Amino acid sequence: MTVTVLTRAEWPGTGEPPALARFVVSSFSPLVAEAARLCLTAHYGPPPVPADEGARTAVVLVSTAGDIVSGREVADLVDSGGNVSPLLFFQSVPNAVLGHVATRWGLTGPVVCVSPAGDPTADALDLVDLMFAAGDADRALVVLVEQSTTPGTPDRAVALLVKPGGHP
Amino acid sequence: MPDEPAGTGTGTAGIRSGHPLRPRSVGITGLAVASAFGRGLPALEAGLAAGVPAFAPVTRFPADKYRIGVAAELPGAGSLLDELIAVVDQACEEAGLRDRGTTTLLLGVHREPGLARLPRWGRDPAASSAGLAVTLAGKCGLAGSPRAYTTACVSASTALIDAASMIRTGRADRVVVAAGSLVTEDDFAMFDAGRALAADGVVRPFSAGRKGLLLGDGVAAVVLEADPHRPLTTLSGWGRAGDAYHVCQPHPDGTGMARAITDALDRAGLTPAAVGYVNAHGTGTPHNDAAEAAALHRALGPHAARIPVSSTKALHGHVLEASGLLELAVTVSALRTGRLPVNAGHLGPDCDLDLVLTPRATDARHALSLNAAFGGANTALVVTA
Repeated sequence: MTVTVLTRAEWPGTGEPPALARFVVSSFSPLVAEAARLCLTAHYGPPPVPADEGARTAVVLVSTAGDIVSGREVADLVDSGGNVSPLLFFQSVPNAVLGHVATRWGLTGPVVCVSPAGDPTADALDLVDLMFAAGDADRALVVLVEQSTTPGTPDRAVALLVKPGGHP
Repeated sequence: MPDEPAGTGTGTAGIRSGHPLRPRSVGITGLAVASAFGRGLPALEAGLAAGVPAFAPVTRFPADKYRIGVAAELPGAGSLLDELIAVVDQACEEAGLRDRGTTTLLLGVHREPGLARLPRWGRDPAASSAGLAVTLAGKCGLAGSPRAYTTACVSASTALIDAASMIRTGRADRVVVAAGSLVTEDDFAMFDAGRALAADGVVRPFSAGRKGLLLGDGVAAVVLEADPHRPLTTLSGWGRAGDAYHVCQPHPDGTGMARAITDALDRAGLTPAAVGYVNAHGTGTPHNDAAEAAALHRALGPHAARIPVSSTKALHGHVLEASGLLELAVTVSALRTGRLPVNAGHLGPDCDLDLVLTPRATDARHALSLNAAFGGANTALVVTA
């Protein structure tokens, strides 16, 4: 079985992604929301996605390292005896921003976050291929995001809209 | 935009690509667990039978600065990796798994506090949840291309669903699913900041006066196999769906969870009349439990009022990413022993459900195990004796 990438969008990597209300400190969630916006807007136009497609669209977040900056912020606050903001609780797991994306765009398929050991894109396509084969979804929005671990190198975020089969 | 077909990867060992869909059963042939009740399924079953919550003052870190200082800790817990190795080895031994090297590992895992404290710049890519999965697979002799699930409280149940789908669609003959979460101060600080912890020190799922959740340790592993001769139980159905409602609150009408339940029953070829027990997500938070009760009524109709329901988080605590596996073990145990675990901490009715308030015998053959998470993620599993 194969899958087809209908639309691919990449955050350009210059400057900061647009701020996202209630998400603080880290670029991770804003990057996810912006890459998703670029991809879905290119394919569908403004939100929401047509209801019949949104009802069968999975939302998949793929990040090997996860939200490095939020994790480090909480660790530093705990170690220094500082107070942790309630907002850090709300963004403590990668699902949270997927809740924002799914709500804004009307996507009610499965919500999945993974940290793959192999090539992230290949693993993501394996994952959505399985979802399609099992009948869990007919479309998948896949967002691949990694925060930079090298000074001077930008964070990366790519979103793919994927469908089953070999023809667009 | 690129429209070319993207070939699916073949890097996950044990996968047989290209096989046509065929209805293979998904059996649980090995199951190992560690919780605040101790190591091994008998310890968990003894704790459930006693019905006494395992919460005690936290010993792992100073908790006096938080509003509540109790959790359900595994006595003598080692590192998360060591605890995971122990349950994976035990589950594989119980299953008599001989070909570990071609068996895929799917791991639901919580972020380790050690990883969070590494400097951002220059960080090794292996310092990740995936890196822990690779190390665990290597230590246990499993195939070298595992995947870690970081979908918060549905991590383990999502891994189980993917494993079952791999088997059902012919992509794999066997899969090991493991999950683990040990209470950390980072979690404690965040849940305290979010005012999610039960300030009265008691978890009261679906009860009037419920004030929140309490955290616990949970580490578990199962071996799932295609068409096994003598499984412990069968994972006969599964479903998952999103709410598309809020960043961290469930849809108050339970729409996503209801669709997950309906899909799970459809996949199992069952109707609501066949369900004899529900192990609920039941965190003890006001929003979750009301939404989950609504979902049960939406999906099960008039049967929702007569099917026994309990959330065992009131006994073993909320084990976050490992919830789906620990609670699968609870559900398997209920069907095998014929004893339904209690929904502890109850003060008075608030949700119209048949809560198991005192130990109850059952001859149920089919049970649901439910989980939900931030982002509106919902999963339902059907376990058949």
